[in-house]
Amino acid sequence: MSEELRTLLALTLVFAPLSLLSIGGGAALLAEIEHQSVAVHAWTTQREFADLFAISRAAPGPGTMLSTLIGWKVAGFAGALTATALPPLVTSGLWRGAALGPLARLALAFGGGAWARSHRLRIDTGGRRRRAARIARRARCLGRGGAVGGLDIVPSESPSARALLGWRSGVRLGRRARSVVT
Amino acid sequence: MQHTPETRRGKWVGLPALFVAFFRLGVMSFGGGTAGWLYREIVERRRWINDKEFLSGAALGRLVPGSSGVNLTVQVGQQLRGGAGAATAVLALLSGPLAIVLALAAAYDGVGQSHVLHAVLDGVAAAAIGLTFATGLKLVQFNRASAGPLAVTIATVLCVGVLRWPMIPVVLCIAPVSIGLALLDRRGRNV
Repeated sequence: MSEELRTLLALTLVFAPLSLLSIGGGAALLAEIEHQSVAVHAWTTQREFADLFAISRAAPGPGTMLSTLIGWKVAGFAGALTATALPPLVTSGLWRGAALGPLARLALAFGGGAWARSHRLRIDTGGRRRRAARIARRARCLGRGGAVGGLDIVPSESPSARALLGWRSGVRLGRRARSVVT
Repeated sequence: MQHTPETRRGKWVGLPALFVAFFRLGVMSFGGGTAGWLYREIVERRRWINDKEFLSGAALGRLVPGSSGVNLTVQVGQQLRGGAGAATAVLALLSGPLAIVLALAAAYDGVGQSHVLHAVLDGVAAAAIGLTFATGLKLVQFNRASAGPLAVTIATVLCVGVLRWPMIPVVLCIAPVSIGLALLDRRGRNV
């Protein structure tokens, strides 16, 4: 029993950090998953890994099934469940803006800016839309909001998020920013 | 701002309906193109969310770590029914493929070391690797990339793919360099 728990823990320790790195999709992680499961932990042989990869690609689903198969191979059904449920849990923890909320916003602000701008997408992380829109508009009114233009990161009213937005636009947004422009 | 709230929050989507929709989605989405299937199923057919909501969800899904399809699902479920909706949607999306994949894996174990099976799997793996490789090449955007980002890309490929260094430290070292280069580049362009 404790042996099994230890295996599940090992799976967790491998896949949870990796899922935090999988920005833009899981394909980037293939090499590392292979390295971890073949060389480091000897969960599968090279041959088995190739087979599992093929199975995961032939089956339907959102492309996260390779970790499921490795989990299953190592620790049966419990392993499969652990490896499947983990990434959504970790990343949706990010989403909900709970403990790691600022981290997600940072990732958004840095990594996402260029991509979103090139696709002309407006990103809205929720919160008070109207107030955030005012902040963004103020940045634009001051004539230096070009950097905010294509990408309105519209955060909540948290000071750190406002500072981030201000920094990106080259405008310092004070606490009263929201009341200046209507 | 053009956020005209055409919110039809009157549209009440029950959790069972949500489950059924995303279960179908999970079973149908071959090849990992969950976002496309989700658009067809949820936006066009059922009209639960509109284009704008889908787009911002898709953008966020790409930017936040994790499988973009799963992220988008969390986002849509969350929008429709809050936390319970998000959990239901993800559960529904993953449970179908999970069952199928496990059945395939059990069959794989049962058949054992047959030559035919290995040949089939080798073929599938080769095609899948080709697709993944093509996606990577497309993402590099050779026509637009300047020397800095290309160097970062090549360095990452060398470290992780060829030298087989562990990925997390490599990314932790290279990411700041890459971000710094991008900032410098942008500053240069703005001036």
